[in-house]
Amino acid sequence: MAEPFDFSQAPEALVLTGVSRRFGALKAVSDVTLTIRQGERRAILGPNGAGKTTLFNTICGDYPPTAGQITFFGTDITRLRVHRRARLGIGRTYQSSLLFSGLSVLENLYLAVRAASAGRFSLRKAGPADPDVARARELAGRVRVSGFLDTRIDAISHGQRRQVEIGMALAGNPKLLMLDEPAAGLSAAERPELIALLAGLPRELTLVLIEHDMDVALSNADMVTVMKDGLVVVEAPPAQIADDPVVQSIYLGDPH
Amino acid sequence: MIMMSTRQWALTGLGVAILMVLPLLLHNFWLVNIMGRAMVYGVVALSLTFLAHYGGFISLAQTMVAGIAGYAVAMMAPTAIPLSTMAMPYALAIPLAVLAATLAGALVGLIAVNTREIYLLMITLALAVGFSLFAQSNITWFRGYEGIRNIVGPEVFGLPFRTPMVFYYSALIVAVLMYLLVLYVVRTPFGLVLQAIRDSNRRTAAIGFNVALHRIAAFALAGFIAGWGGVLITFYNIGITPSSIGLWATVAVLIMAVIGGLGHPLGAFIGALIYALMDTFASTIIGHDRFNTLIGLVFLSIVLLSPDGVWGIGERLKATLQGKGSKPAVEEAAGNETADRGS
Ligand SMILES: Nc1ncnc2c1ncn2[C@@H]1O[C@H](COP(=O)(O)OP(=O)(O)O)[C@@H](O)[C@H]1O
Ligand SMILES: [Mg+2]
Repeated sequence: MAEPFDFSQAPEALVLTGVSRRFGALKAVSDVTLTIRQGERRAILGPNGAGKTTLFNTICGDYPPTAGQITFFGTDITRLRVHRRARLGIGRTYQSSLLFSGLSVLENLYLAVRAASAGRFSLRKAGPADPDVARARELAGRVRVSGFLDTRIDAISHGQRRQVEIGMALAGNPKLLMLDEPAAGLSAAERPELIALLAGLPRELTLVLIEHDMDVALSNADMVTVMKDGLVVVEAPPAQIADDPVVQSIYLGDPH
Repeated sequence: MIMMSTRQWALTGLGVAILMVLPLLLHNFWLVNIMGRAMVYGVVALSLTFLAHYGGFISLAQTMVAGIAGYAVAMMAPTAIPLSTMAMPYALAIPLAVLAATLAGALVGLIAVNTREIYLLMITLALAVGFSLFAQSNITWFRGYEGIRNIVGPEVFGLPFRTPMVFYYSALIVAVLMYLLVLYVVRTPFGLVLQAIRDSNRRTAAIGFNVALHRIAAFALAGFIAGWGGVLITFYNIGITPSSIGLWATVAVLIMAVIGGLGHPLGAFIGALIYALMDTFASTIIGHDRFNTLIGLVFLSIVLLSPDGVWGIGERLKATLQGKGSKPAVEEAAGNETADRGS
């Protein structure tokens, strides 16, 4: 259970109003309205195909909403381009790792740091004393991949890629961090490390977590949103989730 | 390839040293029509390889962009026949021509900014064919089908540019500088972002990079490189015609880059050398029409047997000798694209 934290007075970090996303005839996200305050840890649960990942995609801009409005700390970002949203402080990971597979671990993290700093566009090689490189090394330590700095992404293990995923999302010091099934495919030994990493995040960081693993999801959540068929079906604190009849009916026969 | 090792720098230095003393060993024909030609066309192929290997963009517009520099230098050349009203010294005409190619490259990048894969191929091919047809039909500027003749290039130390030594060393200097430019750029933040876009454009944007801007800049840089090639090719051919930048010329540069290997900047020059050798010797032995068939067959067998070209064959031999397996770069890239589409 997360530290008790009263975020009810905190500013609204992310507000979705009637957000929908269509793919042709399919409504992957349907009229979602929710408010997440600064510092809140929000878990999003739901069966496969519920629209959880698509919800992330509408927020980060990969697939902007086809209807509705999204504001981020009061700024309307509904139509903003992906890199503009990132620069406002939205960091995310992907359900199946989306890394720069031809580059090294350090280069991946370095680019993520660099993307968030001024003067992103540069034709000057980074020297060993470059502060961005130092910050990338520090991030590597934080997500426990310091031993593989010069290894190409396509040569590290799945678990290490998941770690780099999180490192890259953290690199820009985001105000909002969105993690899409960070525990997927991790070994039993790797899960506690992930939980510890999440627990160690600064309290003012807003976290939205899609997670099938109930332990990982509920140990970190202040509030839980349950989705099904693109709709939000339940919104409740974690203590009430396990007993909720709707949640039980959804998860019955779906052990994930 | 993460970084050039000391050994690779030593090999590069050795290669350049050999190329520098080559004029002592080679007949002028070999110097100009094989080596010089391979280097100037290799520079255009290099611009294609740069975009393909580091950005993941296969552009068929590089010959056209080189042709824009070629036409620009021809229009401004003080020796042009027919002479235009814009005639100016080569010292001015050459940089302006390269600038024109750089801007044209940026424009191609802008037009194709949202297209990938087969659509990028089609749009750049359409631009290339369109430009060549335009040059063929425009009399006022491009002098139509005849093109612009007598573009002999500047005098260097009082020697005409077409002097074998002058041409060879100019081509060598430009080729080496462009090659080193590519190797340098791909280690800078800009070059790393290009490789990031190649591996996942979604992630590149999601961390805060403006993907469109980096793509356009990559095409501009490729235009700059191709522009130098285009200027030298125009001097090599003593002029420029629409057919020298047409469909066949476009395909020829693609063939050079693929035969040599898209996996490394050096592949462009290896491919251009093989092409020059085959064009020169196969054509005289078996005739020009059969040469087209032959180069087509070589191209096909390379694509089928070693998609990463001659460079890739070398890499695999090296890996086999060292007892390590290796997979072709092309396959890797294809796998990454598939990963990028799902989420
Ligand atoms: N890019 C897309 N194009 C078409 N359909 C999509 C796309 N992304 C997701 N979908 C569809 O939207 C629905 C919700 O998918 P998703 O958001 O991935 O669900 P979840 O993450 O909850 O498993 C699914 O039916 C999926 O097939
Ligand atoms: Mg999902």
